[in-house]
Amino acid sequence: MTLTARSSLEVVVEAVGAALERAGIRAVLVGGACAAIYAGGAYMSEDLDLIIQSAPSQRQLDDAMAEIGFTRRASQYFHDKTDFFVEFPRGPLAIGRDVRIEPIRLKIGRGRVLAISPTDSCRDRLAAFYHWGDRQSLDVAVKIALSNRVLMTRIRTWSAGEDALQKFEEFEKELERARRRKGRPRGSNARIRRKR
Amino acid sequence: MEVSSPFGSQTRTRVLVALSLLDQSYARELARLLRVPNSVIQKAVLSLERDGLVSARSVGRTRAVTVNPRYFARRELLVYLGRLAETEERLRSAIAGLRRRPRRSGKRL
Repeated sequence: MTLTARSSLEVVVEAVGAALERAGIRAVLVGGACAAIYAGGAYMSEDLDLIIQSAPSQRQLDDAMAEIGFTRRASQYFHDKTDFFVEFPRGPLAIGRDVRIEPIRLKIGRGRVLAISPTDSCRDRLAAFYHWGDRQSLDVAVKIALSNRVLMTRIRTWSAGEDALQKFEEFEKELERARRRKGRPRGSNARIRRKR
Repeated sequence: MEVSSPFGSQTRTRVLVALSLLDQSYARELARLLRVPNSVIQKAVLSLERDGLVSARSVGRTRAVTVNPRYFARRELLVYLGRLAETEERLRSAIAGLRRRPRRSGKRL
């Protein structure tokens, strides 16, 4: 797959996911790019973060990324044609204190990419709101919950463990407000096509 | 007694210990407290950031550094750093000499 300046986030994610899979590297899409996909274009991120779950050498990783035109500078991979860049933050795959994260196979284009679920992506954004007071992340979490089915009970339980129940309630209120604005009753969210 | 270097180097370990006592700091303050060059602190902070142990964000022109509140084992890490801090007598007394509470604008120092 050839990446160009016009390649969308989804196209780049698909290319990176496929290249890593061909190289036998298991990596899970997390962070802003994942949130952007679930938020359905209402939020943009040029930063693709993937947590590696196998143990490739630096050389294997460089080769896999080079296959689709990415070259490494320090710890990030850049492409001549696209502004999207890729980083592999050190694991473990965790959201706050929760390390029992089960990735899903997210359908993107013609392929499937390992990614955290909409519920986990929502929690990931909320973690930034809870711990850093980042209201942009709250906004994205609301957008994710608006466009996907997320498990609110799970998010509430996790929020309690992060000592952030009060902020979770703020998230609930923002979500209700956003639903009213959109004129959509609770529970009518579109479900993202995905397969475990 | 000086702490050992369970986090890879003495500076990395001592930066973490200092942050556990301060909650939040910045490179210049850490350099002053730990009596090492600013560049050494910046390098240590950068590598700790890569490991996910600390997070840094811009507050005005300063990079405020803290033990990463999103680190999955933050609570356990803070307990461990608390134990290490017990052996850092000099660092603790240097930190005890820092004024962190607010001071009304215009009030004489």
